[in-house]
Amino acid sequence: MSRRVMLGFFEREEDVLAATRAAREAGLRILDVYTPYPVHGLDRAMGLAPSRLAFVCLILGLFGAVFKVWFEFWTTSVAWPINVGGKPWNSLPAFVPVTFEVMVLFAGVSTFLAFLVVAGLRPGRAPVMPDPRVTDDRFVLMVEETDSVFDAVRVEQLFAGFRALHSEERVEARS
Amino acid sequence: MSAEGANRYWRALEERGAATAAEGPDEFAARREGIDLFLSRRGFLKAAGFGAAGALLASCARAPVQEAIPFLSAPEEIVPGHALYYASTCAGCSAACGMLVKSRDGRPIKLEGNAEHPLSRGALCAAGQASILGLYDSHRLRSPLHRGQRASWEEVDRAVGERIATISKNGGAVRFLSSTITGPTIRAEIDRFLGSFADGRHVVYDPLSCSAILDAHERTHGARVLPRYLFDRAEVIASFDADFLGTWIAPVEFAAAWRAGRDLEAKPPRFSYHVQIEPLLSVTGSKADRRIRIAPRELGPALSHLAGLLAKKAGLTFSSPPPADPELSAALATLADRLWQARRRSLVVCGSQDVATQVACNFANEILQNYGNTLDVERPSYQKQGNDRALQELLSEISAGKVAALFIAAANPVSELPGGENIAAALDKLPLVVSFASHRDETADHAHFVCPDHHPLESWSDAEPVAGIISVTQPVIRPLGQTRSLVETLSTWRGRPTPAYEIFQASWRSRIFARQSQETSFQRFWDRAVHDGVAAVEPARFSPRPFDVSAVKPAAPAKAGAAEGLSLVLYAKVAMLAGQHAENPWLQELPDPISKVAWDNYACLAPATAAALGVAEGDVVRLDFGAGSLELPAYVQPGQHDGVVAVALGYGRKGTARFAGIGPRWLDAEPSVGRDGLVGVDASGALELTDGVLRYVREGVRIAKTGRTRPLACTQTHHTITVPDMFAANGSVRRPVVQETTYAAWQGNPAAGREGEEAESEDLWPDDHPYNGHRWAMAIDLTACTGCSACVVACQVENNIPVVGRDEVRRHREMHWLRIDRYYSGSQAEVDVVYEPMLCQQCENAPCETVCPVLATVHSEEGLNEQVYNRCVGTRYCANNCPYKTRRFNWFNYPHQDPFANLVLNPDVAVRSRGVMEKCSFCVQRIQQAKIEAKQAGQPVADGAIQPACQQTCPAGAIVFGDLNDRSSRVAAAVANPRRFRVLEEMNVRPSVNYLRVVRNRDETDGEKSHG
Amino acid sequence: MAEVAWLVRRPLIVGDKSVAQVTRDICAAMETRPSALWWAGFLAALSLLGLGVTAISYEISTGIGTWGENRTVGWAFDITNFVFWIGIGHAGTLISAILFLFRQRWRTSVNRAAEAMTIFAVMCAGIFPLIHMGRPWLAHWMFPYPNTRGSLWINFRSPLVWDFFAIATYLTISLTFWYVGLLPDLATIRDRTASPWRRRIAGILSLGWNGSTRTWQRYEVVYLLLAGLGTPLVVSVHTIVSWDFATSLIPGWHATIFPPYFVAGAIFSGMAMVLTLMIVARKTMQLEDYITPRHVDIMCKLIIATGGIVGLSYATEFFMALYSSNPYEQFVFLNRATGPLCWAYWTMVSCNVLVPQLLWFRRVRSNLVLVFVISIFVNIGMWFERFVIIVTSLHHDFLPSSWVSYRPTCIEVATLLGTFGLFFTCFLLFVRLVPVIAIGEVKAVVSHDKLSGGTHA
Repeated sequence: MSRRVMLGFFEREEDVLAATRAAREAGLRILDVYTPYPVHGLDRAMGLAPSRLAFVCLILGLFGAVFKVWFEFWTTSVAWPINVGGKPWNSLPAFVPVTFEVMVLFAGVSTFLAFLVVAGLRPGRAPVMPDPRVTDDRFVLMVEETDSVFDAVRVEQLFAGFRALHSEERVEARS
Repeated sequence: MSAEGANRYWRALEERGAATAAEGPDEFAARREGIDLFLSRRGFLKAAGFGAAGALLASCARAPVQEAIPFLSAPEEIVPGHALYYASTCAGCSAACGMLVKSRDGRPIKLEGNAEHPLSRGALCAAGQASILGLYDSHRLRSPLHRGQRASWEEVDRAVGERIATISKNGGAVRFLSSTITGPTIRAEIDRFLGSFADGRHVVYDPLSCSAILDAHERTHGARVLPRYLFDRAEVIASFDADFLGTWIAPVEFAAAWRAGRDLEAKPPRFSYHVQIEPLLSVTGSKADRRIRIAPRELGPALSHLAGLLAKKAGLTFSSPPPADPELSAALATLADRLWQARRRSLVVCGSQDVATQVACNFANEILQNYGNTLDVERPSYQKQGNDRALQELLSEISAGKVAALFIAAANPVSELPGGENIAAALDKLPLVVSFASHRDETADHAHFVCPDHHPLESWSDAEPVAGIISVTQPVIRPLGQTRSLVETLSTWRGRPTPAYEIFQASWRSRIFARQSQETSFQRFWDRAVHDGVAAVEPARFSPRPFDVSAVKPAAPAKAGAAEGLSLVLYAKVAMLAGQHAENPWLQELPDPISKVAWDNYACLAPATAAALGVAEGDVVRLDFGAGSLELPAYVQPGQHDGVVAVALGYGRKGTARFAGIGPRWLDAEPSVGRDGLVGVDASGALELTDGVLRYVREGVRIAKTGRTRPLACTQTHHTITVPDMFAANGSVRRPVVQETTYAAWQGNPAAGREGEEAESEDLWPDDHPYNGHRWAMAIDLTACTGCSACVVACQVENNIPVVGRDEVRRHREMHWLRIDRYYSGSQAEVDVVYEPMLCQQCENAPCETVCPVLATVHSEEGLNEQVYNRCVGTRYCANNCPYKTRRFNWFNYPHQDPFANLVLNPDVAVRSRGVMEKCSFCVQRIQQAKIEAKQAGQPVADGAIQPACQQTCPAGAIVFGDLNDRSSRVAAAVANPRRFRVLEEMNVRPSVNYLRVVRNRDETDGEKSHG
Repeated sequence: MAEVAWLVRRPLIVGDKSVAQVTRDICAAMETRPSALWWAGFLAALSLLGLGVTAISYEISTGIGTWGENRTVGWAFDITNFVFWIGIGHAGTLISAILFLFRQRWRTSVNRAAEAMTIFAVMCAGIFPLIHMGRPWLAHWMFPYPNTRGSLWINFRSPLVWDFFAIATYLTISLTFWYVGLLPDLATIRDRTASPWRRRIAGILSLGWNGSTRTWQRYEVVYLLLAGLGTPLVVSVHTIVSWDFATSLIPGWHATIFPPYFVAGAIFSGMAMVLTLMIVARKTMQLEDYITPRHVDIMCKLIIATGGIVGLSYATEFFMALYSSNPYEQFVFLNRATGPLCWAYWTMVSCNVLVPQLLWFRRVRSNLVLVFVISIFVNIGMWFERFVIIVTSLHHDFLPSSWVSYRPTCIEVATLLGTFGLFFTCFLLFVRLVPVIAIGEVKAVVSHDKLSGGTHA
């Protein structure tokens, strides 16, 4: 099963931004926009929902902290209580530093891993991108040709209206 | 105390179960029960005698007939992993202290004082503690030598026998040269041996001679006797350069007595007044209540003047001019008053080698009626018998080649006497020279035959240090080499080879048994003596002639003429003495109590003198005395007389070449020996043997810088409790780490001298760690501590502490768990000294424990700060965070390459590996042992049953250890003592080591010190 | 935010680059053959590293005794170097994380290198807690894992354990942060490089990055989160390092001022190191247009600020000591300033407090050679700060009987040099293998400059 897509190639971030907005207003189905650097407002222009990675960070951070506090207390005063320098069994203040570090560690690493998973990034994965120059200086807007009535010419004109270098249609295998 | 000591010794037999119980599964239970059955009190005494007999049989391996019992068929009472104690006599010096030999699996591993001994009272000195290493000395001769080549006893006996035969046929002078031998049996054997010749004489000398004292008594009392000094009876002690707490005659005995004379806890308290008049800062001087610096040449006149003052009080017509120094004469006047008030309870002692001075000393004691009270000539001491006049004659005989045969035992004249090389040359010319030395020492090199004697732990012997007190030396191990007991050798050459055991028993039967009345059967008497280690018998009484006043001559005032140049004073250190122990690494590494320098001798100069000469510590200086010169590094010694340069004897011994490679070897390591390959410099060349006395002082010595430097291995670089003014804001210059007061102030207020209130502040933490069982603690009485450092060596032996060598000590990496901090106060010239033994303080809130990441140092339920060697990863954070800096780190794998010397290691204490922190454990192995015994006996641990090595050996009894939770314990009492303080109390680390404030017998009540 | 407005007016990246140009310029450094200068530097660094490796192997095989430490001074060069390197590292995190949160867009030119510096510095620092142990082969005992000894855990009351966790976390988070930032650039390399090897490696490492906006969106969230985590982390790490000393009872260590004092010092020293490296890098790698005098200028101002804090801390320590009427405390500080090791103290003061004052003058700030020299001085001064804190506090503490001196051995010096070798070896490899400047971010800045420029024109 494959699908036809229409690609618009741009040179400047403001053009692709405007083109995306226009395309969305024109009711085109925007598959994705490829840019060499993060273009601000583009996600809103595409109508993407905000990411929820922040929650992952919060939850696992808290988990790490709680787990560590419990572990420190358990090892020092339950598992094998040893009199160390006459300190009380429950030396909570002394447990704070490690707790904090572990919290940060859990939060940071888990967020990163979560990111890789949701973004589908993994070692050795072949990049799926319309044009190698995307990572250099090209901005590519990709819209789906939804049905037979899809008018390629109008779309091309729309792109051209925003100083698109050129546009082309492709058939891409959908994974 | 004595009961306790007996208990300690005899508990050995009961203990065998305990040790095994300690080692988990008790595989010896059956055996133990078997024995316990017959172990009633009596049966057990039987077993004792039997055990002793068994041990002595095991010992006589070299005897012609007897066979040694191999350890495979072990004697009855031996249980593996379980210590036995045998009573014996210390041979570290001629003082002959009583000791117990701790033996594990037939292997002696530790010497302890014998609490039943009337003289040493359960103590040993540093040299005594260390002397066990000599047994395992790989450099000891294993067999006799003939002209330097190994030979068999048969050859040697044949060869010597022939020569002796010819001599006794043709006649000729036979001389036996030895240092003091107190043993009646050996002396008798020597006399008997010499008796078989027409002209045989036994010449005795002491490298640290007291000959002048004996000569003086010959003049005043008509016999060469050394009085027995009873410091415990003296209320006023005037010591003229007699270092009786350090090296003079019998330091352990004297220290114990001196301590008994100043007991603040006694009811009523007694506290003797001790004045020291000396050119150097000696250990004794450092403990004196009043110390007066004096030039050596003024010593005689001063003493004579004192005698004069006393004579005036006694209404006698004798006077001697006062010394030039008005301050000194004033001091002498007040001293005379104090002495006079304390007639019969005072004591004047003098370390001078000038006979006239000693006569004046006797005179002073006579006037004060001290004879018979504080010093005893009727039951004299035999600890120094040296006769320098006889020695001088012998030497001239030798150099004249008039001696047919010379036998040398327990002496090393070539290295100990002046003109050693001449003596050596003369020896080479003699027809027969026989040495009984245990090493190839300087003298043995010039002997035709070397017939090594046993080590004292291998042989039978006896000693009579003081008339009427006879102690036994019993073998505790089969001889490790082909050595032979001196008496056996002599008997063999006499043609009647007899085993030492028989010789001694016979001698005791005939000589000593008769002198006692408690025991009727000799066997019982003998067994008792062997088992107690000491027997009190009727002294060979000697009734002195009435004091001969005519012998006393007023001394001429010191000639001002001799004043140019410095006076060189040769002294002895507590560790090296005259050098007998020069090959003992423990003693070489023991910091001198005063200078804190190890591994060297040096030229001590007073600060003023050093400044005048522009000499700094470590500058190598040349001392030019008439006969020769010495080159050694300078050491600036506060409290020393400005006109004096002092050098320690006993260094530069041939044998110390062995220490070239001691200590860790690495890129930057430097050898422990000097440029000549020896440790220190031999100063005996500066001695003088003139008109019948060996002199330790030389006048008119010139000193010059050589331009070279040799940094000294000094363990303490800052010497005062006061910090330099420049570093002291708001005038807080003195650190309250040591506290002191005066006797007068103490009488007013026992807590006088307290600095900073006890900070038992409210605790924010919950009381999570109550001490319900034992609560171990220690108290150290700084008033008693003399700094003698016996504890340091005892600790080293007990805890397998490595020797690291001079270079490491110089880098401040010595390993001693117990060190003695020595602080000066007062001026550079007139110093007051305090000693503060510093060991792990076993803090309740231990700063070291909190910072250890891996829980390698933790707290026990009995208040011990435990170091877990296996767990330690060596971050050294604990040592940094220890305010007392008592932790020691294994910077290297310290060499234990000498497998022979390793036999002395204590199997109860782990040998620490590289990269591990270690420290004082309060001798936890002893605590465990005692607890196991108590458990076996089903009774609580008795107070005093646990004695850490340091406490056990302390001559002054300054250290008390025990259970704080036991309200009746001595340590609890000490903690309740108003003199008690704890170091750095304000930090609330709650140390378990308590100190009792230093008290000086002075009149000032405001606690501030005066300087005589 | 005023900063932003000001930035908008004047372009950050000079020379009016096109986006493609940016890619070319930055990648050029990696695609051309290394210059002779690079080789010279690399070999020098490598030989230093070799020296260090030799020294450390000798120390580990022979014993800590090969260092000059003794019974009183248990830490010296080892922990001094440790704190020094950790401090260096902190500037990296500061620039990349904190300035990111503050939207300081000038950071884009330097943050990549700064983060790399962080990682290498932390590597250098990490060596010392390991080798300063008497038995480094047991270092894993610092980690609480179930074992057959009971289980015997670890002492969570010990600052060294806190340290262990702090350093481990810090290294991990810094690496993650750096790698996330690197992803787009790796993709760029992948797509433009000629060499197949580089393509394959970059291909694997870039995890199939394809510049899709969806990814960019998440990417920015993650980056923000990591920055947000890194900021308190960097503060906590040096706070904990300072607690190694502050929680002990040694006078001169036991001070509540240590955490802020150490953090400021860390940023101070780190900034200096960044400057040192940047000034060299921009010259040798023709990046003048990206690392402009303005970057230098801003970092100089940061140095003045942090240097001021450090100077204030020195003064405060002294005041507190004298004010405390604690004789030990007073002694330690007077001893620092006038005692046997006072030369170290005054080196520290002159390098950290006096010399940086020159940076008040714009003329000095604009003279890169001078700035370079000053940054070197600050590096030296900050090393001595740690030396002074550690050694002078230890060598004369409570009991006068334990007062000793300290002299380093050649082994210790060689170890210190060795860490510099490691640091520069890594850094020189880094400039060859990875874009020294975050291409993606710079592109954003460039086009932003264009935009704003356009609107004003």
